[in-house]
Amino acid sequence: MKEVNIDVLKNVANSLMFDMSEDEYRLLEGEFHTTLKQMDLIHNIKGVEDVTPMTFPYEVTTSALREDEPSEVISSDEALKNAKDVIEKQIRIPRVLK
Amino acid sequence: MLEAVIGLEIHIEMKTKSKMFSSGPVQYGDETNTNVTVYDLGFPGVLPTVNKGAVINAIRVCHALHMEIDPVLRFDRKNYFYSDLPKGYQITQYFKPIGKNGYLTINTSSGEHKIEIERLHIEEDTAKQLHSYDCTLIDYNRCGTPLIEIVSKPQIHSSEEAMKYIDEIRSIVSFLDVSDGKMEEGSLRCDVNISVHEKGSNEFGTRVEIKNLNSIMNVEKVLDYEFERQCKCLETGEPIIQETRRFDEASKTTQPMRNKTDAVDYKYYPEANILPVKLDEAFIYEAIRTSNELASSKLKRYLESGLSEYDANILISDKDLSNYFDNIVQNGVSYKLSANWLIGDISAVLNKEDISITKFPLSPDQIAEIISLIESGKINNKQGREIFAKILENNTLSITELASEFNKGMISESDELLKIINEVLDENEQSIIDYKAGRDKALGYLMGQVMKKTGGKVNPKDTNSLLLEELKRR
Amino acid sequence: MDYIHLTISELHDAYVAHKVTPLEVVKSIFEEIGDDKDNAFEYLCKQEAISKAEKLKEVQKENLFWGIPYVLKDNFSTKDIPTCASSNILEGYIPVYNATVYQKLEDSDAILIGKATLDELAMGGSGTSGHKGKTYNPYDPSHQYMIGGSSCGSANACASGLVPFAIGSDTGDSVRKPASFAGLVGFKPTWGRISRYGLFPFAPSLDHVAYFTRSVKDAASVLTLLSGHDEHDTTSSTSEVKDYVSLINGDIKGYKVAVIDEVIESMTDSDVISRFNETLKILESLGASIHHVHMDLDLLKAIYPTYNIISCAEATSNNANLDGIKFGLRENGKTYDEIVTNSRTKGFSQLIKRRFVIGGYSLLRENQEDLFIRAQKCRHLIVDKFSEILKEYDVIYLPASPSCAPKFDNASDTLSDEYLICDNYLAYANFGGFPSLTLPIGFKGNLPYGANFTSAIFAEEKVLNISLALENKLGYYNLYAKGEKK
Repeated sequence: MKEVNIDVLKNVANSLMFDMSEDEYRLLEGEFHTTLKQMDLIHNIKGVEDVTPMTFPYEVTTSALREDEPSEVISSDEALKNAKDVIEKQIRIPRVLK
Repeated sequence: MLEAVIGLEIHIEMKTKSKMFSSGPVQYGDETNTNVTVYDLGFPGVLPTVNKGAVINAIRVCHALHMEIDPVLRFDRKNYFYSDLPKGYQITQYFKPIGKNGYLTINTSSGEHKIEIERLHIEEDTAKQLHSYDCTLIDYNRCGTPLIEIVSKPQIHSSEEAMKYIDEIRSIVSFLDVSDGKMEEGSLRCDVNISVHEKGSNEFGTRVEIKNLNSIMNVEKVLDYEFERQCKCLETGEPIIQETRRFDEASKTTQPMRNKTDAVDYKYYPEANILPVKLDEAFIYEAIRTSNELASSKLKRYLESGLSEYDANILISDKDLSNYFDNIVQNGVSYKLSANWLIGDISAVLNKEDISITKFPLSPDQIAEIISLIESGKINNKQGREIFAKILENNTLSITELASEFNKGMISESDELLKIINEVLDENEQSIIDYKAGRDKALGYLMGQVMKKTGGKVNPKDTNSLLLEELKRR
Repeated sequence: MDYIHLTISELHDAYVAHKVTPLEVVKSIFEEIGDDKDNAFEYLCKQEAISKAEKLKEVQKENLFWGIPYVLKDNFSTKDIPTCASSNILEGYIPVYNATVYQKLEDSDAILIGKATLDELAMGGSGTSGHKGKTYNPYDPSHQYMIGGSSCGSANACASGLVPFAIGSDTGDSVRKPASFAGLVGFKPTWGRISRYGLFPFAPSLDHVAYFTRSVKDAASVLTLLSGHDEHDTTSSTSEVKDYVSLINGDIKGYKVAVIDEVIESMTDSDVISRFNETLKILESLGASIHHVHMDLDLLKAIYPTYNIISCAEATSNNANLDGIKFGLRENGKTYDEIVTNSRTKGFSQLIKRRFVIGGYSLLRENQEDLFIRAQKCRHLIVDKFSEILKEYDVIYLPASPSCAPKFDNASDTLSDEYLICDNYLAYANFGGFPSLTLPIGFKGNLPYGANFTSAIFAEEKVLNISLALENKLGYYNLYAKGEKK
């Protein structure tokens, strides 16, 4: 496991596109020690390596698929009405370098 | 000897009616942000629904590539932030692709090669961005379009093989009606990775990736350039860096992309909003059974039906052309004559008008009608062409009526024809002797005489058989 | 006569008897809400509710929900009604589509009173982390005790008697824990029983639509209305929707009730323990048998960290759409990355960021096997163990919280057994998707606390039936805080 220090936490935060103040990082680093102690509790469980990771609450499959027919289209006005910077019916952002 | 080791990742945009996980229409060229649903913009609370048509398409391509099809569909999330990815993640199949362990056979100048294919998976496309000098505009119409990604094993060793491989994939998705498969329009996109090593060695060189090649010519240029570059590096001892490079069209070279400090961690994990989808055997079988015929199968059929390799290959080079052809021969007319018409007269019109076969105004049934009249001898080739020209001018004309125009004044009564044949035979006893002695020329001469006497107003086929019968009696 | 503190079925009867009209009820509700000093609402739908109530003239006898007022947690998508999930990142967001749950309620002519506060983005359990601050417990006019979360506003609106039912969401215990602190019935049916379409996701593999009522029968009625397959949510179940009210009568003879001793042993409040034990006697007196079962302490203690890792990890991905570009808060920046980073830095509170870092850390390539995947395996073990119990017994019955509502400044030891087990074990029902219901069983001073029944998946009627039996016997029916008039 990756060691926890302020740089690691900062990198995780930045990879999720946000930042915190130095104080907040220090506070978080302190808290993380408790969090890691709690996380330790999942490492010594008997039989944990004998089961598969669970994604769904219970075993269930479906065979239903959506028919390939277009529907439920929204208008471009609706699509864009919550965006803050719209021009020519498109959302505008600073030029993205390709 | 140094050898290139090439792997290809091909993304194919499907031409389904709706998107991969939403019911938004898949439609190109429409006004921006009009083909979207709440899912496509990633509004809070939206959920994915899996498109049946896209799954059927994927099954068909898997089958064409001889892949094992996973009977349970599962999806995963690929997490990253990018301006063309509204949800902040892409739904894909990372852990369990629908298809694995397939292969493709290609023919190159050095013979037949089998290229193994590692996996085929289903995913969703991103939004389209329009870059101008000071800003980028985002159009979500393309967002969510179904994609399949086909990943080859690194078993390709030259740009020629790579091009053949891509062309074969293009042909498959095009014949199966899965995609337009056009690199220039972005419906088929290609990433390549290439390294060089000593041929036969088990050790591999450092891999370089080049993403988003937009034409088959560029694939060739990039691979040739990279091969040379990497060989030169090995010669001079310059290190080859594992990196992503981009193709610079102007200089026809590859250049390193801005180096990111560490590779992106996509934090893949299973998608909990889509239950595992059970594809039962009957569903898979039905998808395959009802799929369109592949080019390779058509080629075989054409050759078996007597077409020349040349003609057959022209027909299968274009899915629409071969479909048109199949619709002609479906009427029971000859493959050979149909191919002649399609590759000859019809293609000439297409070239002249600069249109594709799908825009050709005459139906395959009409062409078959003309061919059938020629086959039965009711009209000759020249007359067929005249009818063709006339209905091209005016598609409301009846082919049967046009043909009967030609037949007007024809000696159709066999009694009258018989009388004329016997007159000719009486007048040419020497020719009868020559014919009986096995000189075939004599028959041609006698036919000519009959034609002369009737002014050509007889059906040559009927005349020929009557003449043979009368000769037997003498 | 006071018509706004009735249960659903009582209010329906009053409508049918023409004693009161929806308009009168709606008007008095808004009067009582006043300036919302408990901070229960993000948005009050006053105009919408009144104009809807004005249209409801002919009472529909067969439609129990006709004219019934309710609130929605502000993490359900409501077309044309601002929805921010109590987060600044969604400032000004006005959805363009309806959540299935809301659509069903609209179609039944129920009346939406407002969008209720929550812990920011439903990630929290204290009812304190919404962007407008704390939401209060109506049983405590001094505003010292919490109501719990994350469905704090919904719990408040129902517990103060403003509405007979309130929709929330439950990812770990976000309805069932506040139900305990607010003296309410809080029900989370089987995962897939109610469509999640339009519920802002926190961790989809654990997220459930859940709700508060003030009677078990009302809980059964709401379930029948909201259940069913939804083509927009392909994880929603196609299994038959039952008329749950007609299936329950409180007869629990022969019910086998499992009590997990290790959970009780982790508790320190002897009043609550002895009250809980009294309720066991009551259940026995009604013909149920009580069985004390045991569970590996390590496994019980693993529930909370397992929940923490899975939910935080999933949350990082599910909130990645909140980037300021398509909707919500958009800060300035010279590049796309800058805009997104500035918007998210400003839009999320510290608490959310900390959870995201925990989640992001658990999903890192080098940690995934040790944390996220290990947690998913732990989840599997935990679910297997509880399923085993639920195969043998009809329900598991346990206290829903270690005690009544704690004070806001209460700092619990987050490594203690009580915190790790009794305070957080309810997430097991999210892990396994089990139907799980909290109902009030007692008071400490003025503050209520509850216990919880949980059954095997899709056995909602068992949970409801035994809850009804206990409710009848305890008389905790239609509890609400009779605090000073607001």
